[in-house]
Amino acid sequence: MGADENLTEETENVESTEAGKRALSKTGQPVEDIDNLSRKEIRKRAKKNNRAEDVKVRLSKAELKRQATLLILSAIFVVYGIIFYYVPLLGWIMAFQNFKLKTGFFHSKFVWFAKFIRLFEDEEFLRVIRNTLGMGILNLVTTFVMAIVFAILLNEVRNKYCKKIVQTISYLPHFLSWIIVCGLLHDALSSTGIVNEVLIKLGIIDNYISFFSFPAYFWPIVAFANVWKETGWNAIIYLAAITSIDPSLYEAAAMDGAGRWQKIKHITLPGIRPTIMILLVMNIGNVLNAGFEVQYLLGNGLVQGVSRTIDIYVLNWGISEGDYSLGTAAGIFKSAVAIILILIANWVAKKSGEEHLF
Amino acid sequence: MKLKRFTALTMTAAVALSLLAGCNKEPASSVAESTETPDVVESTEEGGETAAKEYTEDEIVDFTMFTAMPGSEINDGNDIQAEIAKKLGVRVKETWLTGQTDAEAVGSIIASGDLPDYINGGDAMIELYNADVLVPWDEYLDNYPNLKEMYSDEEWNMFRQEDGKIYWANVFQNTYGEDLSTEHSGEAFWIQVRVLEWDNYPVIETLDQYFDLLERYAAANPTMPDGSEVIPYTMLCEDWRYFCIENAPQFLDGYPNDGSVIVDLDTMTLKDYNTTETAVKYFKKLNEEYNKGIIDKEFGVQTYDEYIAKLSTGRILGMCDQWWDFAYSINDTLTQQGLDDLGCNYVPLGLTIEAGMENQWHDYGDTLNQSSGVAITTNCADVERAFQFLNDLLNQDIHDLRFWGIEGVDYLVDDNGLFYRTEDMRTQCGDPAYQASHLCTYSYMPQWNGTSRDGKNAMMPGQQFSEFSANLAEPLVKCFQAYGANNYNDMIHSAKTEKGLWYPMYSFSNNFTTDTPGGVAWNKMAEVKHEWLPKVVMASDFDSEWATYMDKYNACKPEDFLAEMQECLDGVIGK
Repeated sequence: MGADENLTEETENVESTEAGKRALSKTGQPVEDIDNLSRKEIRKRAKKNNRAEDVKVRLSKAELKRQATLLILSAIFVVYGIIFYYVPLLGWIMAFQNFKLKTGFFHSKFVWFAKFIRLFEDEEFLRVIRNTLGMGILNLVTTFVMAIVFAILLNEVRNKYCKKIVQTISYLPHFLSWIIVCGLLHDALSSTGIVNEVLIKLGIIDNYISFFSFPAYFWPIVAFANVWKETGWNAIIYLAAITSIDPSLYEAAAMDGAGRWQKIKHITLPGIRPTIMILLVMNIGNVLNAGFEVQYLLGNGLVQGVSRTIDIYVLNWGISEGDYSLGTAAGIFKSAVAIILILIANWVAKKSGEEHLF
Repeated sequence: MKLKRFTALTMTAAVALSLLAGCNKEPASSVAESTETPDVVESTEEGGETAAKEYTEDEIVDFTMFTAMPGSEINDGNDIQAEIAKKLGVRVKETWLTGQTDAEAVGSIIASGDLPDYINGGDAMIELYNADVLVPWDEYLDNYPNLKEMYSDEEWNMFRQEDGKIYWANVFQNTYGEDLSTEHSGEAFWIQVRVLEWDNYPVIETLDQYFDLLERYAAANPTMPDGSEVIPYTMLCEDWRYFCIENAPQFLDGYPNDGSVIVDLDTMTLKDYNTTETAVKYFKKLNEEYNKGIIDKEFGVQTYDEYIAKLSTGRILGMCDQWWDFAYSINDTLTQQGLDDLGCNYVPLGLTIEAGMENQWHDYGDTLNQSSGVAITTNCADVERAFQFLNDLLNQDIHDLRFWGIEGVDYLVDDNGLFYRTEDMRTQCGDPAYQASHLCTYSYMPQWNGTSRDGKNAMMPGQQFSEFSANLAEPLVKCFQAYGANNYNDMIHSAKTEKGLWYPMYSFSNNFTTDTPGGVAWNKMAEVKHEWLPKVVMASDFDSEWATYMDKYNACKPEDFLAEMQECLDGVIGK
């Protein structure tokens, strides 16, 4: 166990920032050479090693045989990927046709970009893009920040049982399906719901508020629902990252007279920074998945201008109206934007010398 | 739009209460010649008796059916379902819409290719036709006299699609023999009888009088016996049911329920009821009442379930709706709580915008909505058997079994051959658990209103006058007496008018798809109205909000829609 822990610590240390390293050297612990190498150097070495291997390994029958098991195992995943990720993409052809079920895939008329043009001429579509981005960003920021704050706060709780109980309770909502969460939320915010009741009893309002009647409340309600449901769950990964921070860092900091706040600022946060960056890059690609269920279940005529997302638009046109081409075109647009977003995020992370995906 | 869709929630609860209106339609002439069907009402046993053969379990075929309306599934092994299966050799597993819209559900079924044997796609029938998954009826229809009898040739022609074939038949609003309807099945401004009683049964003719009465009553009686506050007026705006707020202007102007447009009979041109002066007055009135606190603040966001739950508490004094949309869901509940004795039942009022106008809220004739109905899909392995079953369901003995139940258990027959139920039977048939385990109406399969082939009874228990009267609560009886009415229909005082073959126009707009400019406009107009109608009602400054709404509305190009509807109308009248 001890050896293992050391290993992870070391890798963590490599990844951690200058502040961490300074603290480390201050403690005077024996550190191996590798810890003092900058990340660039590590990468260089790794590259060299790779190249060295390239030279060594020749593609020969013997070599193939030697790696047969590995090859077969990886082939399974490649085949899986092709079947389930790439073959369905053939359906994208529909976006360039005027697809009708009667004429099918092979006999529908090609209209090339007509559907895309129609899409961008549709005021409704521009509005759903705005809604998707708006809610996506709001959700990302709130859930992201809340998870980190929550993880740090929970980490500061000294009582072990209290900590466990809070953590368990807080991540349970993750396992509820959206339909249940929306039901709860709908009831809580209804005229006779707990929120109105409390506000009236406290004398803050005279008469109940119909929360779902006002477009201005919709995004915050959705963001709140996301925070409530996902904070505990998202915090788990940060809590794990925090536990792998070397406790001696905290001891050292304490000796230097650092308070709780300073320890959080100078040790915990920098310690989990790589985790934060990776998750951020991944989540940015997800911004356009601002949600479907919540908006679909909580939306109504009055707030439809701010509640509809791209997914709902695709459902409306693709399934309800039977215009598969338009639905597919909207879907392609969404995928394209998601890829662009993730590339940008990754590029920014790379430029600023942070962790990145590729 | 999906306005008045007599799709019937109706039938789900048909056993408990009565049924839709309809009017004297003689059995279709084409059918009268057929020897297999009764041409005169007296001929009792001749048509529609099922052969005595009994099918064994091995011989029984199982079919599936999807109906794009909410409904309750009956239990496996349901008594009457088993009985029908024994007699006809077919058992149908019905499934219903849950949580989606009809278009979404039908769209998903088409996309998955996982079709049931029978389907009733609600307003999305045209999608099924476009996807080429329905079996045309033309070559079969003549072999099945009961089915053929449902409509005259002229009416059957209305069901023909672009390719000239019939793919489905509406199952509702068909009267056999004499019309016995007791309930105004259509739309009206409804009011609780206790409100009328409190004001000594005044004559209410206009929207202003209606709201005035609600206001005065609510001021004098602000709470229910249990202490909860009364809500003078509410409106449902959810999805296709938003006709509750949307289409009143056509009626207030004295027109019938064409549902998506007004037909001007003088010029045979169409008018848009969304933009008439009456529409402005109507919404302005609603706005005024909303700001006074008379209208439910949550009206714009409530779901259908919430709406029904609210009505079931008896707190709502009035609303605009269609009978089948609420009555079958709340009447039993009101009775169970004893609220019917307090006068919480609703009666319809035929309001107009000015006093002294004629109104056409009530349809005296059968209304033919040719845009939806029951269809057989290409997935069905034995099409002939499927048609045979639809046909046999109209046999009189099977029809009685479906809607009256089993003789001796669910109804009794007196010395004159008249069916009746005891109080216990009535209660039992109103119990949802009993309905699920015992009754099986196949409520979205072909059926008749009106008089049974025996010439004495009603096809539906709720239209049997003795049954109808026995079910009325005391305050309702007093109210009917005060207004000199025999039943709900008489409360409305609608003018008796002949309707053209084009009526109702909504059955054309229901079939619009977004492939045409008119269809796109229709789609967008609905979107805009869904958002803006509640908004203008809730506005603090009505005039400016209305102006913004009109800008948005006109941007949808309603003229495209009207032009295409005009083509439909011209097509029917042969212009």
